[in-house]
Amino acid sequence: MLLLDLLLMLLIAYGFGFLYYGLYRNLSARVHGRFGPSLAQSFSDSIKLFVKEESTTFGWMFYLGPVIMASGAVLNVLFIPFLNQGESLQGLSSYGNLIVVLYLMVLGPLGNALGVGSSGNPFGVMGVTRGLTRLLALELPFYLAAIGVMIDAGSADFGIIMQAQSTQSNMFAHPLLFAAAFISFLGFMGKSPFDVVGAPQEVYSGPATEFSGKFLALLMSQSAMFSFAKLLLMVNLFWGGADHLGELVAKTFVLFVAATFIGSVYARFSTVQSVEFLIRIPTLLGIVGLALL
Amino acid sequence: MDEGFIPYQQSLEDEEQSIKSTQSVIEQAIAWFRAHSMFVLAYGTGCGAIEMPPTFTSRYDIERLGVVGVATPRQADILIVSGYCSPKTLKRVIRSYEQMSEPKYIIGLGSCTINGGMYWDSYNTIKKLDDFLPVDMYVNGCMPRPEALIEGFVKLQEKIRANSSEAGYIQYRTRYAHYRANQERLFGTQVQPRYEENFAGMNL
Amino acid sequence: MMSYLEEHYELIHKTPRLFALHVTREQLLDTLHQITTHTSFDTLSQLTCTDWIEEERFELGYMLTNALRSHNLMLKCSIARDKVTMPSLALLFAQAEVMERELHEMFGIGFEGNETLYDFALEGWCDIPPMRREFDTLAYVNAHYDFREGREDNLDVKEEIKKRKAAAKSAKETPSGA
Ligand code: SF4
Repeated sequence: MLLLDLLLMLLIAYGFGFLYYGLYRNLSARVHGRFGPSLAQSFSDSIKLFVKEESTTFGWMFYLGPVIMASGAVLNVLFIPFLNQGESLQGLSSYGNLIVVLYLMVLGPLGNALGVGSSGNPFGVMGVTRGLTRLLALELPFYLAAIGVMIDAGSADFGIIMQAQSTQSNMFAHPLLFAAAFISFLGFMGKSPFDVVGAPQEVYSGPATEFSGKFLALLMSQSAMFSFAKLLLMVNLFWGGADHLGELVAKTFVLFVAATFIGSVYARFSTVQSVEFLIRIPTLLGIVGLALL
Repeated sequence: MDEGFIPYQQSLEDEEQSIKSTQSVIEQAIAWFRAHSMFVLAYGTGCGAIEMPPTFTSRYDIERLGVVGVATPRQADILIVSGYCSPKTLKRVIRSYEQMSEPKYIIGLGSCTINGGMYWDSYNTIKKLDDFLPVDMYVNGCMPRPEALIEGFVKLQEKIRANSSEAGYIQYRTRYAHYRANQERLFGTQVQPRYEENFAGMNL
Repeated sequence: MMSYLEEHYELIHKTPRLFALHVTREQLLDTLHQITTHTSFDTLSQLTCTDWIEEERFELGYMLTNALRSHNLMLKCSIARDKVTMPSLALLFAQAEVMERELHEMFGIGFEGNETLYDFALEGWCDIPPMRREFDTLAYVNAHYDFREGREDNLDVKEEIKKRKAAAKSAKETPSGA
């Protein structure tokens, strides 16, 4: 039963992750005044890449990079409960809590750094360096907000955190914490203005520069699933989770559209700027939010 | 297709090639996905490259067809050789092409790639791109407007969906000696490493 | 600025903003040194070469620009067409290195003291340098490249344009509405 449940969770994350990614491309095209690709575009991309040959090899560590990254994303999806009640779609959440999830969130980027590093491509390494620098600054406000939420609920367990929000969601109870987490969530999603990692005009494709074929497809799939996991995390921590699948889709969709629109109107920060910004404003918000608890 | 060349006009006049019924359903599906997801490596060799960026803008919006630009040959499906190639450039183009993973296709953009165009008597540009690389689709014009390029992409989509054994990358494998001989004739002593080492052990 | 030049050299006024003066190969370095130290013409912006095949000489033009980018001074230096080398200006102006490299490739002029005189835009070129006027471009192209045959419905462009013009003219002369 548990296995079936896990499979279903992965399928939902995969499907919605890609749908949202297609939607992202479509919506930002509309913001630019274009028609944009169809919703299924990212499915076509990933299937095409899965049946394409790879052209590069740099030893086994290189191949392990995307695999570690993908396992990080998969575990993330499995450890975050999709619903705030009932038995189904709870995944492994009874075996782990928010702290495990926060830990797993950095597993992927680190694994990728190892893989990219062994390719020796300067653009890849530049991308990874930017990514890790940004990650340092991103984590600070997010962790502050998460700590606030945990103190408020008196537990790190997702079920209890969501239970505590049954009367009033954390977004309204602790708006400052929400603001801090939301800004850093934008960065985690890789949206402008924090998209320094794969900035095409600067470092080609960044960390993905050397990957082709199936490994690129793996990277794409994991990033789709990972972004769904992050949406879930935000919904669970600040919007009280979801009672049923419909509500889950609605909530993640709203959050996603907000992130997309913000992403399509802002220009990119440079690495230093984004670190400075993240350390100043959201961190400050987080600290004040913590003090007001 | 001895020349590896279909005049663009002629291919427009052709009847719509019916997609071969010999393909299985899965092959057809894969071909459909391939045709609707084209990652483009745009090698701006000549002035024709100027009309490519507008193709990606709001007015022409080629992303509708699933065309995206990528930054490295590793991830690309389609190489656009946009305009005249000097031998020095051609060497780099060939290397980029050989780094791409299969299936891969080439679009020759502009008269210069077809017959030398207005540089027909220049000592430093090649006159027929398909002597050196297997070109799947030519778009003529000097320079071709974005509409022409889009038309070329649509035609190429049909070719990809037909999944024929005449596709350029298969030609490049099976008739590599021909292409290599032409390359060696042009580059003289300064040829690059042989491509066929990549095929060692493959069933040709 | 001008007064120094007028005093020491035979200045030719080409336009209000462009001056020229002739130097010999031996005087070149010295003159350049004098001019850059005593006037504000301190940038080498162009290095050109003209092939006077009838007079058996190359004319090199060193174009200097002043700091305000308002006036140009060209030092003209004639050298024999074959086997003459010039002193390199690479120590005086760093950008001269690449300009000389191009001239070396296109005209076959040697520059003493320039270390970079290897392939530039033409790789593996073994014919005579292509910008020399005795180089026959068409013969070279015919020998090295294949041309594509035209299509069967290939029309003579000139004839066709003439025909169409005539047709348009006659259509104008006989107004359709009449
Ligand atoms: S076909 Fe015309 S526009 Fe294109 S490269 Fe040649 S000269 Fe330039």
